[in-house]
Amino acid sequence: MYRKQVRRRRAVLALLIISSFALLTFTYGQSSDGLQRMVSTVFSPLQEVGDRALKPARDLVNWFDETFDARGENERLKAELETVRARAVAGEAAVGENAELRKLLRLDRTGVLAASDYRPVTGRVIARSPTVWHSTVTINLDEGDGVRVNDPVISGDGLVGRIASVGGGSSQVTLLTNHTSAVSAKVVPQGVQGVIRPEVGDPEDLVLDFIDSSRKVGVGDTVVTAGWRAEGLASLFPPNLPVGEVVTASIDAQVASRQVHLRPYADMRNLDFVQVLTGGSRG
Amino acid sequence: MIVTPKILARLVAIVVVGVLLQLAFFSRVELFAVSPDVLPALVIALGLLGGTMTGAIAGFSIGLLVDSLLVQALGATSLVLLGIGYLAGLFRERFEIHSSLVPPLLCMGLTLFAELGFSAVQLLLGVDAPVSALIARDIAFKSVYAFFLGWPIYLGVRRALRPALVEEPGVRRRRQPTVLGT
Repeated sequence: MYRKQVRRRRAVLALLIISSFALLTFTYGQSSDGLQRMVSTVFSPLQEVGDRALKPARDLVNWFDETFDARGENERLKAELETVRARAVAGEAAVGENAELRKLLRLDRTGVLAASDYRPVTGRVIARSPTVWHSTVTINLDEGDGVRVNDPVISGDGLVGRIASVGGGSSQVTLLTNHTSAVSAKVVPQGVQGVIRPEVGDPEDLVLDFIDSSRKVGVGDTVVTAGWRAEGLASLFPPNLPVGEVVTASIDAQVASRQVHLRPYADMRNLDFVQVLTGGSRG
Repeated sequence: MIVTPKILARLVAIVVVGVLLQLAFFSRVELFAVSPDVLPALVIALGLLGGTMTGAIAGFSIGLLVDSLLVQALGATSLVLLGIGYLAGLFRERFEIHSSLVPPLLCMGLTLFAELGFSAVQLLLGVDAPVSALIARDIAFKSVYAFFLGWPIYLGVRRALRPALVEEPGVRRRRQPTVLGT
């Protein structure tokens, strides 16, 4: 009797392991299938209710974490303020010059997105992946809101990621910090181009890879999306979306490994609202 | 564990509520820049109370639900969680739990095992990007959080499944003695 029980247990365990491997084999690298869409349709209203109900508790816990962080950040921000103040003065002059040039070119619209055909749609983050290996969030927008796979996603601070899949009532956003993410970008004002890759496990570190080592990049330089377009192909992201700021750029690293490290402007760990740029080129 | 339709419904409710709480709450709060992962602890609690089969099936189901909701490759989370559910169940079948420290310590140890398992699966599936050393800190902190969250999760699950637990002292006490000859 006991042996029979043990045999049955082992058979169930083997069946579950084989099922896991089979699922992994068939679904790895595929976009969402019917089952996932169905589950997402059923659960997204529950996730949204949970998200709203748990917000006060979430804010309370995050308040403690932010209080610890704030002490160290205060010093860093003071130093940064000095640099930014100097840049703001230079920026004022550039803005005035820009306005004059726009007038000359009869481009009376302003802003990064104004010259593109993107329509931003605001959504709420309702869930987040529990592991650092999958930096994804779920938002409460779907096809009905005009959201399509590969649409860029931004927050108030800068680029966040892109839409990985669209289900019923919700969509998955692959964040910049996800290991599958790669964005073509450039350093301004130098114009040095490269590809932004994440450093898996560190949400505050991105690597700008494959840069031209002959042109120097400095700490504090701004990195924006490159938004290239060539031979009928186009980047998924519009040009000049702010991504982050260069934090380490040693000459040795630039020459040897052709990369610099940057800190994303968007806080990937505390996203509540994001905007999906719908209607543009989808690659 | 005696699994009646009512108990099965409770198990399903525990799984669904646990997954929703993880995705909508625990994954989105941070202490020392690390979010707690309560799903391994939930699977361990179910394995400790229900045995190897309950642990493995619960782990597989929770993994499948998480992968479906996050539109990830199905099977990766299931594989890891069914393993720790089975191990927790095996512990329950082979040893007595005579200290209240056993569930939290098991939660800590097996969460560490689960997080290493997730990492191994991801690396085997191929990670193109560089991997930060902070992954190690994330895994260590998640295990410590599992120690503190393991005990309340175990108590909560035990309370929800109390009618099905034949070895539960509280249930045994309530049972009326059989009186012969009346």
